[in-house]
Amino acid sequence: MSLLRQQGSTATAPPRAVPAKGLRTPVAGRRPGGLSARTRHKGMGLLLVSPFLLLFLAFLVAPLCYAFWLSLRTSTLVGGDHFSWFANYKQTFTDPQFLSGVRRVVVFGVVQIPLMLGLALLGALIIDEVTSRLAKVFRMTLFMPYAVPAVIGALMWGFLYSPTFGPVNSISHSLGLGKVDLLSHDLMLTSLGNIVTWQWTGYNMIVLYAALQGLPREVYEAAKLDGAGQLQTALRIKIPMISSAMVLTLMFTLIGTLQFFTEPRVLEHSASSVITPDYTPNLYAYNLAFQYSEFNYSAAISFSLGAVVFIGSYIFLFVARKRSGLK
Amino acid sequence: MSSSRKPQLRSVRRTAFAATSAALAGVLLAACGGGGGGGSSSGAPSGPVHIKVWAWYPQFKQVVAQFNKTHKDVQVDWVQAGVGQDEYTKLKTALKAGQGAPDVVMLEFQELPTIQLTKGLLDMGKYGANEDKGNYVDWAWKQASDGDHVYAIPVDGGPMAMMYRADLFKKYDLKVPTTWAQYKEEAAKLHKADPSAYMTDFGSDETAAGWRQGLTWQAGSRPYTYSASKLPDIGVKLNDASAKKVYEYWGDLVKNKLVDTQSYATTDFYNGLSSGKYATYIAAGWGPGYLSSVAAKTAGKWRVAPLPQWTAGGNAQGDWGGSSFSVTSQTKHPKEATEVARELFGTSEAAWKIGIDQAYLFPLSNPILNGAYFKSKKYDFFGGQQINSVFVPAANGISAFDWSPFQDYAYNTDTSEVGKALQGQSAWSSVNDDVQQQVTSYASKQGFKVSQ
Repeated sequence: MSLLRQQGSTATAPPRAVPAKGLRTPVAGRRPGGLSARTRHKGMGLLLVSPFLLLFLAFLVAPLCYAFWLSLRTSTLVGGDHFSWFANYKQTFTDPQFLSGVRRVVVFGVVQIPLMLGLALLGALIIDEVTSRLAKVFRMTLFMPYAVPAVIGALMWGFLYSPTFGPVNSISHSLGLGKVDLLSHDLMLTSLGNIVTWQWTGYNMIVLYAALQGLPREVYEAAKLDGAGQLQTALRIKIPMISSAMVLTLMFTLIGTLQFFTEPRVLEHSASSVITPDYTPNLYAYNLAFQYSEFNYSAAISFSLGAVVFIGSYIFLFVARKRSGLK
Repeated sequence: MSSSRKPQLRSVRRTAFAATSAALAGVLLAACGGGGGGGSSSGAPSGPVHIKVWAWYPQFKQVVAQFNKTHKDVQVDWVQAGVGQDEYTKLKTALKAGQGAPDVVMLEFQELPTIQLTKGLLDMGKYGANEDKGNYVDWAWKQASDGDHVYAIPVDGGPMAMMYRADLFKKYDLKVPTTWAQYKEEAAKLHKADPSAYMTDFGSDETAAGWRQGLTWQAGSRPYTYSASKLPDIGVKLNDASAKKVYEYWGDLVKNKLVDTQSYATTDFYNGLSSGKYATYIAAGWGPGYLSSVAAKTAGKWRVAPLPQWTAGGNAQGDWGGSSFSVTSQTKHPKEATEVARELFGTSEAAWKIGIDQAYLFPLSNPILNGAYFKSKKYDFFGGQQINSVFVPAANGISAFDWSPFQDYAYNTDTSEVGKALQGQSAWSSVNDDVQQQVTSYASKQGFKVSQ
């Protein structure tokens, strides 16, 4: 799992430039007429890195540059195409549709993220403590939703929410609570939050569980000797020690929330009077480009969103590292 | 936003497509585009010219086989590129990218001005398409052309009518309404007799935007005055009295809970059609096929009656959906592609029999539309009724209508505003004004000279 490796590297010292040093020492001197060993190794390194570099340039840097270039232009259906500097960006941050989408995902995140990560942490602490066959089953079951593709998951929940077929409705009906429309305007964010929580809790739990498994067991023994109970061990030892993994999961979740797209896009189909084309910023950008032919404005919105995510994550990581005492 | 004829198919496609992000869609497109390109290798003089066609109904396979059998120099390669909006998204992307579009593409009428405006369509008038003018009903030809410029060859249409459950009407002693006022009375009567039943469903999704447009069309609303040759002028009037009348009428039915408000093309909606929850289904010429596939177990219980009128004894009609074949500007074989667009269905009885019997297409080709075979065809699903004795006069009674070159935006805005009214966040009486305001502002921003 690459995630865990990444998580490990944030906790320990960064492995900066280690391989280069290691390689340099054994080969010394020049070969007649040849390049220096150092240069040759550099060339070799470049050669080895080049497949990645090519893909990186072709599929990340080039599209980014193109999108940025697009976002600086304005092309209208009739008026033609011209360079408009930052007009699209100015429009983005004054566009009520974009801003209401941002507000919506922020509200969504404020409730959903702590809830989901709390559940994930709780799950991780429990399965870390209980080492029985049951814990394995529990772990697998919680992780399972992550194996279901997001689209399928959202579709499935769409059926469960259905006012005619959905179990939620028939249960509330038989209890005499009347009709609960989970796809209505008031409950939509909750319904979406449920899907996301269902899908991602297990994933985050596994990340946190793996971090817990990596902790030295002697610490627990020491804590036990000092008279700490299970709750105290969890609160005072385990949680602080896996704070870097928690920061990591929080970070991924934040990014995911800001880019909220798949679930609303799927549910839009059965509740389009609630999920409007500007429901989330990402959905808005998509509809602007592919339905309203506003490619430039869409690029500006995507770019702004990308910048917000990037800067936001950077600041968050920076602050979180200082606070949690990580290196 | 589109009124696709096979929403159940569409639902599958849409959700599959939902997964692919914008970027991925581009990659996929490049992948499909690379293989086919403009069809054959144009360097080889021998052998037939291959024309790539995007169309969505599965029965199209046999129509293509029929075409390929009867043509030697031109052969059609059919690609299922998604239904309705999915196909348009791919097409628009390919046109924007400058490559990857097919030679011939199936487009609904309301999309034609949009694609034409972005220079995506070939003027088939230069390749002899004007000869077909007399073959098609007038309003359809006008939608597909602009003077002598021909941007599409009409295929099928969606004249609207009312399908109703004869058994339920009998059970609750309802009269088949001929006016909208009567329709409302019967709706109240039905709902009183059985609170779980509704006269119909007022769809709240994008698919239903075309439905609402069809109904305002019937009421006499003409929201756009547009001609590609008079750019950048456009007339936009989405809030005239007729449109407001229609929206307030349905808003009233919704408020009194006389109609359901389920999105079209959802399982709940299909279920409503087959379970007897809905007593009528107001739909178009392609509706019988749709209904008989999603509510197969109610076969024999349905009948078709003309669309209720606003004034008793009137004969105002509207259209919902309908498609055509266009040649894209990226084609390398304009002459052959035009031939394909004109002759895939054209006036070919063999092709049309496949279209009518298997795909439930509603022909706009005059000889077929007014021919004996179509008019007198009996439908078992409708208890042996000759339903086209209702639909054909409706098709002939439709009057001309202009679409805007930003129909997706207009439909989406309409859907959002109707959604707000449905959710009780705004008043029904303000829906049209809000839509008008947003659409005119969008149009002005896009460089149009808007007159209201």
